[in-house]
Order: sequence, then C-alpha cells, then structure tokens
Amino acid sequence: MSGAREILLGSWRARISLGVIGLFVFLAIFGTLLAPYDPDASSLDLLEPPTWSHPLGTTENGADVLSQVMAGARVSILVGFAAAIISAVIGSVVGLASGYFGGWTDRILDSLENWFLVIPTLPLMIVLARIWNPSLLVLIAVIGLTSWAGTGRIVRAQVLTLRERAFVERARALGARDRYIIKTHILPNTLPLIFANTVLIVAVAILSEAALSFLGLGDPTRISWGTMIENAFDSGAPSEGAWWYLIPPGLCITLLVLAIATLGYLFEEYVNPRLQEVTTI
Amino acid sequence: MSARWLIGKLGVMAATLLFVIVFNFFLFRVMGDPTAQLARLPQATPEEIDKLKADYGLDKSLGGQFVDYMGDTLTLDLGISQRSREPVWDEIKDAIPWTLLLVGTGTLIATIIGSWMGVAAATRRGTRTDDGLLGFSLFTYAAPEYWLGILLILVFAVWIPIFPAGLQMSPGVEFSSWWAEVTDVLDHLILPATAMTLLLLGQYFLIMRSSMVDVLTEDFVVVKRATGLPWHRVVRSHAVPNALLPLVTIAAIQFGLVAGGAITIETIFSWPGLGELNFAAINDKDFPVLQGTFLVFSAGVILANFLADCLYFYLDPRVQSR
Amino acid sequence: MSALLEVGDLRVTHGENPIVDGVDLTLNQGEALGLAGESGCGKTTTALSLMKLLPDGLSQSGKITLRPQGLEEPINIDRRTERGMGLVRWRHISLVFQGAMNSLDPVQRVDAQIDEAIRLHERVGSSKEVRARIDELLETVGITPALGHRYAHQLSGGQRQRVMIALALACRPSLVIADEPTTALDVVMQAQVLQLLEQLRERLGLALILISHDLGVLAETCDRIAVMYAGRIVESGSVEAIFGSPQHPYTKRLLETLPVIGGSRGLSAPIAGAPPDPGESVEGCRFRPRCPYAKDECLKDPPLREVAPAHASACHFAPWSEWPAGNGDGGGGAP
Repeated sequence: MSGAREILLGSWRARISLGVIGLFVFLAIFGTLLAPYDPDASSLDLLEPPTWSHPLGTTENGADVLSQVMAGARVSILVGFAAAIISAVIGSVVGLASGYFGGWTDRILDSLENWFLVIPTLPLMIVLARIWNPSLLVLIAVIGLTSWAGTGRIVRAQVLTLRERAFVERARALGARDRYIIKTHILPNTLPLIFANTVLIVAVAILSEAALSFLGLGDPTRISWGTMIENAFDSGAPSEGAWWYLIPPGLCITLLVLAIATLGYLFEEYVNPRLQEVTTI
Repeated sequence: MSARWLIGKLGVMAATLLFVIVFNFFLFRVMGDPTAQLARLPQATPEEIDKLKADYGLDKSLGGQFVDYMGDTLTLDLGISQRSREPVWDEIKDAIPWTLLLVGTGTLIATIIGSWMGVAAATRRGTRTDDGLLGFSLFTYAAPEYWLGILLILVFAVWIPIFPAGLQMSPGVEFSSWWAEVTDVLDHLILPATAMTLLLLGQYFLIMRSSMVDVLTEDFVVVKRATGLPWHRVVRSHAVPNALLPLVTIAAIQFGLVAGGAITIETIFSWPGLGELNFAAINDKDFPVLQGTFLVFSAGVILANFLADCLYFYLDPRVQSR
Repeated sequence: MSALLEVGDLRVTHGENPIVDGVDLTLNQGEALGLAGESGCGKTTTALSLMKLLPDGLSQSGKITLRPQGLEEPINIDRRTERGMGLVRWRHISLVFQGAMNSLDPVQRVDAQIDEAIRLHERVGSSKEVRARIDELLETVGITPALGHRYAHQLSGGQRQRVMIALALACRPSLVIADEPTTALDVVMQAQVLQLLEQLRERLGLALILISHDLGVLAETCDRIAVMYAGRIVESGSVEAIFGSPQHPYTKRLLETLPVIGGSRGLSAPIAGAPPDPGESVEGCRFRPRCPYAKDECLKDPPLREVAPAHASACHFAPWSEWPAGNGDGGGGAP
C-alpha cells in the first residue's frame, strides 16, 4: 500500500505520531530489560519525589516509578493491538455477511450490531471481566468482543454500496460464485476502510484496557499504566501530592492514544475519497 | 403520519430494553455459575449453600429461573446485595439522583461549551484557532477522564485547596439552611463535573464542528447573506440551528461514554452514584449489584437515546411531517 | 439615461488562478441580459461577485457601479465594505438560485423568511402590514398565501422556485439575478417560471440577469445575451443578432447543440474536449484547442471588439458573414 507510506511520511504530525508509537512499541518489547530496577521491587524509600537514583520517584512500596512506566507499555500495546485485531475480524465478518447476503442474515446481524452500539461499553466490559478471572487474555477477549460493532456498521455500509455496483452484477451474471466475488471484488475495496478504522479501534482498546485495569480488573500479575494509576490513587498519592507517581502513567496513555488516533484520522481521511475508486485484484 | 415515526422509536426502545434484560439473565446464569461464588463465602456449610441456592432460586430449572427472573425484574426486584444484604433496587434508587446530577451537569456544560467551540472552529476553518481547538479536543479524548480527575484533585484540592477532594457533601456537618446544603453539594460537584465535562467536550466539539462545516456549504447560507443579513446573524440564527440537528442524533450515540465516565469519575471522587455502587460491587464480586447496575445503566442509555429522538422530533420540521 | 449596472474589468481569482478574467457588462433599467456558457465558465462567479458574495479564498477586483432609479448617488459596489453591502443586497439587487431545495432555510417557515428579508431593509409598521405585503408577493408569483406558512420541504419544486422569486422581489430591487432558475424543473414548470419572470419584468420594470447553459431558455426572456467561455466574454449582442448571426465559433457550436423542431432527429454532437482549468495557461484564444477554425493567428490573445452595431466578438476572424465547414472539432492549428 504505497498510499499508506505517503501518509506515514507525509506530514510532521504523522512522523511524530509514528515516532511516539515506535518508542512505546520498543518499550513494550524491551522495557522490562532496560528498566533500571525490577518494577515490582520494593524498597524503603516510600513515595519519594524524583531523585537522581529514581528519576520519576518511587511508589508507595518504594518501587521505581520509571521502571514501572517502562514495563507498563507492554500491557497497553499488547492488549490494544490484540483486542483491536479481534474486534476488526469479528466486525468485518459480521459486516460482510450482513451486507452481502442480506435477508434474515442481515436482519439478525444488524440488530445484534445495533444492540452492541447502544449498550454502554464499559459497564458491559466490567460485567464480562468480572465473571471470569482477570488476566491478560480475559482483557483482550472482553475488549475484542465488545468493540466490533463500529467496524461492523462501516463494513456493512460499504459492502451494501459495492454490491449494487455494476461490476458485481456483471460478475454474478457471468456465473461467479459468492466466495469469488467477495474475494476479488468486495474485499479489496473494503480492506483499506477496515484498516483505517482498526487503527482508531486500537486507541479505543488501549483506553478500555487502562480503564478496566484502573477499576481493578486488570491482570494482577502485571504492571500496566492503568494499575499504576489505581495503586497511586488507592495509596493516597493525591493527598500526598505525589505528582511524580500520578502524572507519568496517565501521560503515557494520553500520548500513545494521541499518536495512534492522529494516524488513524489521517488514514481515514485518505481512505474516504479513495472509496469512490474501485479496484480488483 | 408524524407520530408514527415517534411510536416506531418507542417500539425500538422497548425491544432493545427487553433484549438487555434477557441478555442479563443468560450472562450470569450461563457464563458464570453463581454457586461457585457462593461457595467462596467463608465457613459456608453445604446446608447453608443449599439454602442460599434456594433463596436465589438457583435450585430450579433454567426455564423456571428465567420466568422468575423476568417477573422479578419487571417488578423491580433486582435481588439482594451480597455485601450489604439490602435490596439491590433500594441501593440503586438512592444512587440514581446523584449520578443524574453529575452526568446532567457535565453533559449540559459540555454541550454548551463544545457547541460554541465547534461553531468557532467551523467559521474559522484552517486557521490557528481551528487547529488549536482540534488539538485540545484530541487531547481531552486521549487523556483518561479518571486521570484528569485525579490531576484536578491534585491541583485544586491538594496544592491549591479550593475544592473538596471527594464526596458529595461535607461529612458530619449540620447545615443552617437548605440553601447552605445546596451550595455545599455544588461545591463538591465542581471537580467531578469538570472531569465529566472534559470527557465529553471533545466529542461534542468535533460533532458540532463537522455539522457546521456541512451546513455552511448549503445554498441557503449564501441566500441569507445575500438578503443583507450580517454574517454573525446568519451564523447564529440560521446556520447554528440547522447544525444542532445532527448534533442531537450523533451525540446520542455517545451516551454509552457517559455511563463509563460516571463509573470511573464517581470512583475517584467517592461520589455516591451508580458508578461508585458498581465499583464497590466489582471489588466485592457482588453479582446482584453488578447485574442491577448494568441493567440500570443500559436502561438509562436506551432511555436517553429515546429522549434524544423525541427532542429531534420536536426540533426538525422535516421529521414532523413525514 | 445612464445605465443601471456598469461592470468594468471584473476579475476573480482563486489564489493565482483566474476564474473570471476581465469581464465588462452594461445593463440598462428594465433590460434582461442573458449570461450563457458551459458549467465552470465563470457565470455564477460573476453573478456572485456583483453582490460581493464570493466565498473566502476568492478575491475580486474591477469596477461595479449600480445606479438604481431614484437614487442621487451611484452605488460603487467595488468600494463598499461588508457592512455597506448589507444595505445594498436585496434592497437593490437580489438573487434567485437554482434547485431551491437548499436555498431556503429548512427549519424556518417560508413566510418568516420573506418577513425577515423585508424587516432587514425597511422600517415596517404593524405586523398586519407586513403580512399583507407577504401575501401579495406570494399571490404575484402564483402561490396561495396559505402555503406561505409551510416549510420548504412541504412545497413542490415549482412552488419553491416561485417562493424564491417572491423572496427576491420582497424589497423591490431594481435588478434580479437568476442563476439557472429552471434547470431543476421539468419543461412545463420551466415555461411557467420563465413566463412569470417575464410578466414581473414588465409589471415592475425589473432588470434581469439570467444565467443559463441553455441558450433556448435565454432566447425566450432576454433582450441581450453575453456568451462566456473560460472566464471571459467571447460574444455579446442582442438576442436576434446572436441567434441570427453568431460571430464566434463557440457561440456557433452552442447554437448547433440546440434541438430544432423540424430538424434532424439525431442527438447533436457535443462539443469535443473540455474548457481549460483555471490553473492551465493557454496561449492566445482560450477556445483555440476546441475550435474548428483555429489558425496560427489564434495564438495571439483576441480582444473583445465591436464587429457590428451593439454586437461584440472576441474572435480574430469576426465578422463572419457565413460559416465555412471547419476542420472538425478540436486541434485546429499549432498546439
């Protein structure tokens, strides 16, 4: 996708966003190795402000905030991307089936989709996450299973438009089977849309993971930015004025989501006019 | 007939609500066996477990349980809280007004400021004002609302102690008058409402901006200007009213965001609404309360959507004569 | 008697690109001028610039002077500020757009829109007076006053167009600009609206600038016609002169595309090629790439000059007494 490359390297916004995402992905992979301390290691310096040995200060257990921040990147990146992919797959399949086959399939799937769109997402995620025992896998599953409706609706709309186009009718008249039509005509014209949308879903997924972790439904064996905020808040960091503990995790979430959302909107802008042009493999 | 459109929406609302109630049932019965949770109660003998099972109706068949559940729910019997042993509905009933206060205030202010920002950005498209506003709203979108809430506490309740850091009222205080009590609540409302506003501001801004940009390309805007109407009046009296219409519909889709925000923000500020109830239930694994609050949140969002539809019906003459 | 409207060297640019490239127009009281040409030739832009209604990003220059009857001082539109224009718009010049679906505020009742326009320019007495005036306006255009209380979407296309005309007349202007007023209507409605415009012209002594890509429409209502191409006027003259003896190859081709009763039944061939983009620079005559009569001389910019009494053309080879067979469309002469 040469178009993607021209967006990514085009504006300064895109380049900075890419850089930020790259940084966090790097931390996700190497964060625990490069962290100056073991993120869980406690010490006697409880809730200390930043010093040379602890550039971002310490937590209520004496753990190094910087190390926790670095280690926390992994959960956000992992859950964010994995959940978004699951959501994209479910949404695309539902949207495709709904838009292409129409009839009862459409009626049922579309109602299901609308229902998921109306239901408040976080309360639903909370309920699902609480039924099962909290872990990384549960988080990914819960977020993935509840965030697909947006993609589904977009895909369905696109497939509906494509289905009416002359080239699809022609293909059918020539005796092409559904699977062929979907593969060669529908999919190539829908994938860019799905891609652009999925990028934005990653941002939403990261925010969802952080919220769930903050509420205590995160993986207890791992540090994540959400759990950091939770721990900080629970241990009275606000009243202690422990800004070094409170600001970094939230800032990381904000920056990462900002970067992803910026790229997502750029892709979306790019994809939209292109939707008028139609391609076949 | 105009009313048919409205009745149609009412029907959709009822159907969606019904589906939520049914979903709620299967969610808890089928996906997680409450008996397992009950078994974790300390020192529960098998007889006690059996008795609890009977109390919760878990000894009946699935079909029987479903009928019981439907009957109970529709009469607002949402079970007993595992933690407090109080009826779930009573706890919810007391919490709803507080959540409405928080959510209502936040939504109102966010709508007003967001719309105003949206108009400002749309009429200055491409300028630095527009870019600045877009950047600001993107930031409030990306920043977790509970984190912003905590920062608000840090700055305005700890460092510069102007506002209280939590609760809805000063505890243990005798109020000299009704008015004093109200001002105390308002004082406690400011920080959480600000967090709620920040959560929604970006969304409403973007929607209004996009809507205004579309409206400003319409022919009638040129015609109004051609009649000699000064530009600020064209914007205020003609463009904005038309741009508000899509805002109502699209903003309604965002109501789920409000519910999520209520949970996290009330948690931060110990605000005694549905959100805090939900949060406590998470920690206690209090499933009846979790189930109940989920139901009420969903019902609230569905109802809000319907009210938005009603508002749209009232505002748009094109729908009224369909 | 001095002219009602005088336009001198009107230019509209989009950054570097010229949209309207030096247009001169004169219109007398009560006269009807037709502005003809393909889409994108700058006719609508010219019309909007007369009222200084151009969108941001377009800048205009050139002299525009309006001398409505009864006013001592002429109105120098080009020198007016936005606030100053507020007094001129609708009071002296008004506008009728095509496709009136979106030309009326969808959430405001139709009579309220006329009311608003009137109140902007006149100190009105009682609301009963205004009401009576609105009703009269609606009746003039053939709309029963009761319909005035409706919203735009509750009226048919033809009704909406009439309401637009009533609105345009609300402040009794001297000049009305109608931009493709019949394009969105069927043939029957088209005839009715044109007839209405003609009647109003006679009754109220209105001057009219009628813009259309359809020369046939212009022939019915206008006294004079100006043909535009790529931002310039390439020919102007009386209706009889233009139709009877066109003096520019573009006009000739436009006339050929009109179906003639009794003529051959086939679809006439469209003019090959397309007008140049505003950004494209063309050497010499803008029409040269599509002109069947183009020669080397056409690489020089042809000025608009009088080739017969009150008949001007921007073709080097005008006056044309007869039209020889050309080289087919397009590509005549050196590239």
